[in-house]
Amino acid sequence: MELMKSENIVQDRQPQPQEEEEIMQQEEEEEQRFHVLAVDDSVIDRKLLEKLLKASSYQVTCVESGEKALEYLGLLHHSSPASSSSSQHHHQETQGHKVNLIMTDFSMPGTSGYDLLKRIKGSSWKDVPVVVMSSENVPSRISMCLEGGAEEFMLKPLQLSDLHKIQAHLLKSLPHS
Amino acid sequence: MDLVQLQRQLVDYRTSLYHEGFLDEQFTQLQSLQDENNPDFVVEVVSLFFEDSERLLNELSKALEQQVIDFKRMDAQVHQLKGSSSSIGAHRVQKLCIVFRNYCEAQNVEGCLKCLQQVKHEYGIIKTKLESMFQLEQQILNAGGSIPV
Repeated sequence: MELMKSENIVQDRQPQPQEEEEIMQQEEEEEQRFHVLAVDDSVIDRKLLEKLLKASSYQVTCVESGEKALEYLGLLHHSSPASSSSSQHHHQETQGHKVNLIMTDFSMPGTSGYDLLKRIKGSSWKDVPVVVMSSENVPSRISMCLEGGAEEFMLKPLQLSDLHKIQAHLLKSLPHS
Repeated sequence: MDLVQLQRQLVDYRTSLYHEGFLDEQFTQLQSLQDENNPDFVVEVVSLFFEDSERLLNELSKALEQQVIDFKRMDAQVHQLKGSSSSIGAHRVQKLCIVFRNYCEAQNVEGCLKCLQQVKHEYGIIKTKLESMFQLEQQILNAGGSIPV
């Protein structure tokens, strides 16, 4: 059996320039995947939405209420976003994660989708697009949400084709590199 | 029964569920989201629907037995049931929920009681039918076949 030369032992091996590039590329790709915060009190709708979003290659975080969403965004105790361990006071980051889009159901007990929308638009998260979803097609509700700053109002149940619309909003909100 | 016969039986059964209005397009959407990474997606979502519906139907029964009926709360619960049945494509249940909500809004006890019975009945049917369909699918898989689209 050949003696393994020290430079061949894996843990001591320095990544080759080519591999380093690949790793960085992978990390960049992950960073570049849009992260969606999905808010819905229905466990079925959360599961569906998560699947739809993942099928479109988005990263998803699901929460079950407006309160949980506010907590996630660091807005629960009113004031400014909770200072997380990430040193940057980047407006669109919390808990180390960026949020590119918020999708919320309209009718939820407690903090409704509309309440959530208003809170978000009055905070440092105001530039993040918010999509409101509802199972009911009520014109006054739709205009209220759009006037409240919602990017889009979508009727449930959502389909894969609805996500194409969302993609356009996400691309719009990206800083130009 | 051989594999081909099983597969044909499944397709026929599924088709009949759509024709008879038990399922609608949304169920097809659900199926299209299932893939090798999530081979049990449809069963999982439907199971959630069963759990959720049974809980809601129980609560609605209890609500209608009260001295003072909380129509507003009932309406919220029927709204939930309407939403989840819509999300999985349980068409008949969803349609009945719309009627049910009208009775809640009108605070019509008789109407609500009747509707609840109807919803329970339709729910029972769709549950049985979907379970039968899943059983057929499992038989096909066990026989080494794939489930026809």
